[in-house]
Amino acid sequence: MECVVQGIIETQYVEALEILLQGLCGVNRERLRVHEICLKSGPNLGSALLMPKNFAGFVTSEVRLLCDLEQTVKHVGGAMRGAGAEQISVLVRSMVESKASKNVLRLFYSLGYKLDHELLRVGFTFHFERAARITVTVSSVNKMLKLHATDEAVPVTPGIQMVEVTAPATSENYNEVVASVSSFCEYLAPLLHLSKPGVSTGVVPTAAAAAASLMSDGGGTIL
Amino acid sequence: MPLKWVFFWQPNAGSTVNSQILNEVSQCVESINGVKEGRWKATLTFYKPMLRDQALSADFPREFIGISLPEQPNKYYFVLRFNKIVLESDSSIQLIMEKLQSYKSRVALNFEGFQYQLGDFQLRVGKVVPSHSENLRGIVMEVLYYYFSSAIEILKQGAFYIFFNIQYWYRLVPVSSCSFLLQVEYLPISSLEKSKQIMVEFSDIWKDAISKRSLAGHFIHIEPNFSDYGLADHYTSQHTAVQYTHVTSQLIASVQAVQTGRN
Repeated sequence: MECVVQGIIETQYVEALEILLQGLCGVNRERLRVHEICLKSGPNLGSALLMPKNFAGFVTSEVRLLCDLEQTVKHVGGAMRGAGAEQISVLVRSMVESKASKNVLRLFYSLGYKLDHELLRVGFTFHFERAARITVTVSSVNKMLKLHATDEAVPVTPGIQMVEVTAPATSENYNEVVASVSSFCEYLAPLLHLSKPGVSTGVVPTAAAAAASLMSDGGGTIL
Repeated sequence: MPLKWVFFWQPNAGSTVNSQILNEVSQCVESINGVKEGRWKATLTFYKPMLRDQALSADFPREFIGISLPEQPNKYYFVLRFNKIVLESDSSIQLIMEKLQSYKSRVALNFEGFQYQLGDFQLRVGKVVPSHSENLRGIVMEVLYYYFSSAIEILKQGAFYIFFNIQYWYRLVPVSSCSFLLQVEYLPISSLEKSKQIMVEFSDIWKDAISKRSLAGHFIHIEPNFSDYGLADHYTSQHTAVQYTHVTSQLIASVQAVQTGRN
């Protein structure tokens, strides 16, 4: 399981966000360049899903391959539901990752999975050790004009970058992790608003002022 | 990484495998001074696609196998024998496959038994049984050659012996304290080709020992063509996964041959 919130920020304020995160973290950022390949099961593959009125639907399964220096298979499952889940500002969902050898794409193609889309995420990450290990990812999302041509990727939303805050959780400790992620998000609130994935809240009006303040403090005070 | 050969028991025409043969094989290992070390278990799972239209099953892999090996408890291996693919991944991939609901496990075979140490060799003798059943389907034997164990023994003893068939060199590096560092590096026998000779010699000794027991069958090792799977000459657990897949197909073929013979 993981806890996740997302937001967007204008590229011109990303440097200020980095200064803020650097100050909170104390450790340098890690560079991020991940080629993400989204695969979906072909039309004939997948288990039957029994639905009301005898209508049988089918589960189309989706799996992501994250390729940087290593290959990771990632499955993101459904979000936690119920009244409790509605009230919290963080999405709790099932997530499983597995590192795999380089031929993993070939394996999934052979199993009947098809390429749905691919992306190139370029940016940086910071890790924070709180109640859980919180990871903040700031990246521009790029699409490829030709198959797998990561060198010729172009931004999907020019001038806007995506910020994602995630933390691993278990069914026992997710309440604590949710609280930890929520309180962490408050530090970033002047620059960006973070919410559950799919709930777009846009950019925040205070970003320019917050960024200016961070940038002017960035050099430290000379006595 | 040690080199491994996986053998399977091929019963003579008209005979079948039974637990008495397994006992005899274990006794044979002990008779040549194999020291029992403990139990081992590997599991091989056949997956089948969950199809909406069974008529289209030809579009999917004929054989999709998942393997867990005792020497790599945090890894899992997938082998597509007809597509010549072997994948190594974290064992969490099994959970991903479960969540994807596109393939489900059809049948699982356990390979389990005792492990023995015999000089530089480790032997694993095991029965092949379907999970949730005790029906003996076959016998396997793994022979693992520790090409580096002699080198480690030497270092443990703090003395340097020159061993026949171990290539080595050393270098004296003076340091400021007027002492010196003796660095010994061994070239392990990592190449399949180089170590094959050692395995062949072991097989001959083993054949000699087992033949005294007049059992109705013999052990066979058939080396798959690893390069078809894109595997290099340097031995890895992926090679072992491929060997298990091929051994299993041989076991199934021999069981089917016996059944055809009866019919």
